[in-house]
Amino acid sequence: MLSRIISGALEGVSAYLVCVEVDIASGLPGFNMVGSLSPEVRESRERVGVALKNAGIQMPPRRVTVNLSPADRKKEGTAYDLPIAVGILEAMEMIPPGAAENILFLGELGLDGGLKKARGVLPVVREAVNRGVSQCVVPRANAMEGAVIPGIRVRGAENILEVMGFLMEQGRGESETLPVFSVDAGNLFQVPGKEDLGREDQKEGGGLDFSQVAGQEQARRAAEIAAAGFHNLLMTGPPGAGKSMIAQRIPGILPPLTLEESLEVTSVVSVAGLMKEGEALVTKRPFCAPHHTISQAALIGGSLVPRPGMISLAHRGVLFLDELPEFQRASLDALRQPLEERQVSISRIGGNVTYPSDFMLVCAMNPCPCGYYPDANRCRCTETQVRKYMGRVSGPILDRIDLCVELSPVDYGSLKDRKAGESSASVRQRVGKARKVQKDRFAGTGCRFNGDISAAAVEKYCPLGVEEEACMERLYASLRLSARAYHRILRVARTIADLEGAERIGVEHLMEASYYRPSVEYWGS
Amino acid sequence: MGGTLKEDWKEREKMYACWLCSFPGMGNGQLHQLWELCGGFEAVYFADRQTWGRVLSARQVEGLAGFTARWRPQEEYCRIRKEGIQLLTFWQEGYPERLKTIPDAPFGLFLRGKLPKEDMPTAAVIGARDCSEYGRHVARLLGETLGRRGIAVVSGMARGIDGISQEAALEAGGYCVGVLGSGVDVCYPVQNRGLYERLVKQGAVLSSYPGGTPARPQNFPPRNRIVSGLADVVVVIEARVKSGTLITVDMALEQGREVYVVPGRVTDRLSDGCNRLIRQGAGVVLDLEEFAGEVWEIWESKRNNHEAGILTQRRRYVSGKTGDSGKNLPENGNAICAKERQEAEGTTVAEKGQGTEAEGAKVAEKGQETEAKQTVTPEKRGGRGQASLGEAGRELSPDLAAVYQALDFYPRSTEKIIQELAFASERAQPLSDRQAVTCLMQLCMEDLAIQVSPGHFCRKG
Repeated sequence: MLSRIISGALEGVSAYLVCVEVDIASGLPGFNMVGSLSPEVRESRERVGVALKNAGIQMPPRRVTVNLSPADRKKEGTAYDLPIAVGILEAMEMIPPGAAENILFLGELGLDGGLKKARGVLPVVREAVNRGVSQCVVPRANAMEGAVIPGIRVRGAENILEVMGFLMEQGRGESETLPVFSVDAGNLFQVPGKEDLGREDQKEGGGLDFSQVAGQEQARRAAEIAAAGFHNLLMTGPPGAGKSMIAQRIPGILPPLTLEESLEVTSVVSVAGLMKEGEALVTKRPFCAPHHTISQAALIGGSLVPRPGMISLAHRGVLFLDELPEFQRASLDALRQPLEERQVSISRIGGNVTYPSDFMLVCAMNPCPCGYYPDANRCRCTETQVRKYMGRVSGPILDRIDLCVELSPVDYGSLKDRKAGESSASVRQRVGKARKVQKDRFAGTGCRFNGDISAAAVEKYCPLGVEEEACMERLYASLRLSARAYHRILRVARTIADLEGAERIGVEHLMEASYYRPSVEYWGS
Repeated sequence: MGGTLKEDWKEREKMYACWLCSFPGMGNGQLHQLWELCGGFEAVYFADRQTWGRVLSARQVEGLAGFTARWRPQEEYCRIRKEGIQLLTFWQEGYPERLKTIPDAPFGLFLRGKLPKEDMPTAAVIGARDCSEYGRHVARLLGETLGRRGIAVVSGMARGIDGISQEAALEAGGYCVGVLGSGVDVCYPVQNRGLYERLVKQGAVLSSYPGGTPARPQNFPPRNRIVSGLADVVVVIEARVKSGTLITVDMALEQGREVYVVPGRVTDRLSDGCNRLIRQGAGVVLDLEEFAGEVWEIWESKRNNHEAGILTQRRRYVSGKTGDSGKNLPENGNAICAKERQEAEGTTVAEKGQGTEAEGAKVAEKGQETEAKQTVTPEKRGGRGQASLGEAGRELSPDLAAVYQALDFYPRSTEKIIQELAFASERAQPLSDRQAVTCLMQLCMEDLAIQVSPGHFCRKG
């Protein structure tokens, strides 16, 4: 007898439905699987067989054929175990025919018949809703993840027997043996305006708050500007000045994730298989800080079968690269295209996929091998050494960094008599306001933030008055700016003006913006 | 007829001098001895190994023989002439008189360009390669002043102080000599390519190493002794306690040269070497014009005894040549050996007490324009409460002036500057961080300050 079960497969961060067809026919006993299967899907044969046996179901001594259609697309992952098992049960007529109709199954089976966590539940469930599937059965660990999507009943099961019981009853009418999970997404996101009170990430994030940063006014300010306009930020400074400390606190001053953003982030995390058990949605801005030995594939995404890399996991959040010059040159250079296009396309034998990668790049580095340049009394590096160290960061990456700030060593005074700095909450409020201004300005265009303004659009969004024009002209000459640096200053000045609520860019905004530019003398022209 | 014969002989001597000086494995003393022994370069070339062996060790003889077998005197000589390289040997005319007086003088010098006339005072300007903006500023002013006052600047064409002072001197139409630690046709460091070309055209590039020799660390101490040897006065701008600059100073003292120092601050490691020299009695440069006058004066007093001094020197050298080398030569009787004198009398190295009027008169004599009281020292420019801070005499707003006051020639972090402002400010309310940043950038725009790194500023010289 033939049975058809619905399941889903991933492609990038989106999904498509897969039909699992099982046929049991008379003939020599055997178990064949077809449909462009990768090794882990092929191994499913053993897992399903043993799991059924341990659940007390003996496989019939007949010829079993399983096809995963569309048969020409590469299948990978272990989530087909459950649909195959259900297909066999239906083909064996252990469950009433039609009981599994319009239900999507997803999950990995253990040898004892237990259901284990699956990868990419959210995108698959999302696709199922679009295709009119009414129910889905997933491992209980992932049930919350799927439950976020409205318009579908998501049921979580512990093992194959529960699923079987549910389907037996389903044949007789609506079954309720498996619990339906539901999550009110609105609850996870508090009403705008009240967002600052007792936010989850403040409690959860180990209590990271900007008020803990001693001194470093310039760096705080730079972080605020960067957050407000989604500019990429570079911090230089001696070891122990607090570069990482500030970087870790940047997600906290970014406005909270919206539901839409959260779904995007959750999709990536889900595809990477990194969702925590019982977690419905990622509500915290991601903060990824890979070690500098990270390989290009791990950073950008890849491997034989494409998986999202660090830059995609940092989507809508912060990617923090500490000790920037220590990263492999190839890895850093591979960041160029994703930084520009806000997404990354990966082509492998297993197919072409596109992952989102709209992240804010925050980098930190020492100014020279010893860390104390340009303090001539402490730094013993020669000019050549400093230049060489700087040179490890390629120009194209520096070109994509709008803001550069230097941290000075913390002196005992500011460490000891610490006036609690401004808290993340009040900074976040200002950032939120500035972002609102940008949202209105860029409504209906491709840009979202000032950091996205292209060189061609600078004229349009950053108009200058006569006085400002004259000022820029002099700055251009005396600071030996390049055209690109000029645009960068204008973009940052736009954000500073937005933070102040000013409609026009003023001279003081330009001055402050030029202070934070990566300076020519330092980086070499 | 006899004339041409003599010319021919001279040419041949030069050809073989080129051969002998290009052999790297021989000391100056040995070169002198060989030359003395054979009575000419050609004679050395054609001498047998036994004769060489009277001066050289067996290994050196082997080396020289191998070297000679590969060497084509005619071709090589033509080649260096084509490249505009001249060879000056100790015994030939054109060899700088000043060098003849120093112990262990280089036997042969390769030269591109033209050496300064002997009746011109020379000053060596030396200092740190990675100097501060202060050093850069002073080096520029000093080079410019020396160039303008007709004093040749001798230096090592290195990065930092050396190159900057030479550049400024050339700019002012002065005369410069660059002494290299590499072959005279090798530009090291490569960043100074422009300066090198200019030196070849407008001044001279000098080296005791044959063409093509790369810059090796061990080449620099001998290079330094030529720098100080060529100068009447050695000026140090910024030197750490352990630095090549101080080695040069030691050599200068050994050679009896006057040593002057540009003082720095006691808190500044880059000026430690300079300040220490001051304590040991070196002359202090406080006013550049005054200093230029002093250089002229030293040179004049030297010149009076010049001829005699050189003659005695030469005679002594020749008579003492059987000694192992020139190292234990007696000091030049007329040049003041600063070290000795300092120990004996405990006075300063430089004779600073001499009347400034007299010096002024001398300067006027030379036909140089003496501007009444030019403010050249940076201390004066940065003086408190001066309204005209900008070179163009631009008036600055009180806020900008205050921020400028807080700046320094050494890079200061923004935080430090803001702290400084809070102390010094006469405003009811000190400038906010953002205002201070705006002022700093405005100063950069006015070309009065430099953003050395994203968070450090210094004054622009």
